[in-house]
Amino acid sequence: MPAQVVQLPRRRARRPTGSVALDAPQATSSEPRPPSLVRPLPFLSRWYSVDDWGRDETLIRALGPLAWLRWDVSVGGQQHVPPSGPALLVANARRFSLSTVYASWALSREIGRPVRFVGRPDIAPIGPFMRRIGALLSSPAEVTTALRDGELVMISAKPTNHPRLVGAIDHELITGAVLHSTPVLPVATVSAPIGRATRVEVGPPVPRGKLRRGPLAEVELADATQHRLQKMLDELGGSRTGVAPLDWLGES
Amino acid sequence: MGGDLGSRVATLLEAEAWVGSLVGIDVDPPRRRLRRAEFHLIPTHERDRMVDVITEFNPHVVVHLSVWEPESRASPRSAKTYTAQATTAILGAAAECRALEAIVHRSGTEVYGRARWAPTRPDEATRLDPTCEFGRTLASIEVTAAAVAKRAGVAVGAMRLAPVLGPHVPSPLGRLLRQPMVPFSALADSPYAVIEDIDAARAFVAAAARRLDEPVNVVAPQAVTMLQAILRGRRIPWPIVGPEWVLTRQICKILGAPIPDHVLELMHRGRLADGSRIEELLGITPLASTPEVIDRLHAWESVVRIVPDRSAVPGSVA
Repeated sequence: MPAQVVQLPRRRARRPTGSVALDAPQATSSEPRPPSLVRPLPFLSRWYSVDDWGRDETLIRALGPLAWLRWDVSVGGQQHVPPSGPALLVANARRFSLSTVYASWALSREIGRPVRFVGRPDIAPIGPFMRRIGALLSSPAEVTTALRDGELVMISAKPTNHPRLVGAIDHELITGAVLHSTPVLPVATVSAPIGRATRVEVGPPVPRGKLRRGPLAEVELADATQHRLQKMLDELGGSRTGVAPLDWLGES
Repeated sequence: MGGDLGSRVATLLEAEAWVGSLVGIDVDPPRRRLRRAEFHLIPTHERDRMVDVITEFNPHVVVHLSVWEPESRASPRSAKTYTAQATTAILGAAAECRALEAIVHRSGTEVYGRARWAPTRPDEATRLDPTCEFGRTLASIEVTAAAVAKRAGVAVGAMRLAPVLGPHVPSPLGRLLRQPMVPFSALADSPYAVIEDIDAARAFVAAAARRLDEPVNVVAPQAVTMLQAILRGRRIPWPIVGPEWVLTRQICKILGAPIPDHVLELMHRGRLADGSRIEELLGITPLASTPEVIDRLHAWESVVRIVPDRSAVPGSVA
């Protein structure tokens, strides 16, 4: 009896749309992608995303009009902020003024780079919300990591009741700037409890003092930054709302 | 070598010029065609067989991938047991090999933990402080591997992977994201980063080639939050607050997408890591960003349909 070969119908694998080949480990993102059945919503792909630190530019833009109702910020000295690379910005703070929030947002808008500010709590829902608007934890390690990643980070001096006095600056938050030789820029902020007029003025980098091998370097740099900030605030003068009693109230 | 990540690493290693012979061990057969590699099917509890295979082969480099993520292929308890058994056998046997130069093992960003005031993006120098069971398992592997490497005088590289997603990678996070309706924390929609399996495999091969002797974070650039990932995949977001999570986890488990504690932690507290040293240490950069990996996760089909090719049959009409 002759041998008989039975040929079964071959099955053709239809490449599924959007599938990834099993044996394609060297696939690169530059290769054309197959069309997918489930495509992400285009408007989401474009602008609904967070960056590496969880900052949500879309949310900040959405909150812009709300912030404008409270603060009409004019910015000066933005040319001192480096166009690329890290920098530590140190702002003064009047109690309950949220100066780092409006200053970082206004500077981000002016220079086209995200400016992150320090001082979010680590508890929901405030902490996650503040992370979305660009806040970092108030921890030296967090600031150091951000500076090493080439970010612009804004910290604030200790809040004061008087708007034209600068509080002490936590030298531990400056450690990262000293270790990575990052420029430290003073940022003077002037705002009033009542009234929208707000001023943000960035100064040139604070020069380093003596070369130190230990933590005296950041202590001295924090002191120098505080003095520079105080000088800038003195030059700026008090807030001008146009209503003298309100200005007196702001100065008290 | 049997799992998806293991067989992908083996495929890449076979293509490397510096790799002479290759031996792999797993409890499952390889999921890809391996041309040069020799495979041994050994359950994790058969330590003697594993030790025999490894010591007889006497490798220069050991790549330890035998880590079971809870609720990926095994329950949390079984995953912990299998991982411990495999780690003891493989690293113990590696220490007996005279030719050994380096150990590269899998770890994860879960080892940093998400305690209060934990850094948003921990780097490799951050202290290990795991706050979930999977993180503690991975941290114990790092401790064991470091101790073995110190005694044997060899290099040890810990690959701290972000959650690995891929078309065939069993991942509780990936499974959850592909459900039609996905829960997320309404009060804390925290960001996280992931890594695609291809990039994770490339990182292992680069670490083995360079005899990496320190930990490295293997994380895709950028981040997404759970809500963003859900909306990108056109799933229905299911906002959950507080005590509802207990019920939600049970429902998800019944529906086939259990939420282990490390995924729950990711949803509440986020999971980012600083992956800026990967290029310096391994000479590679991840090809896919986190949003791209999420988009591909949603694009993968659930069922691959195969239609018969009748044109190949003699006498048949196409």
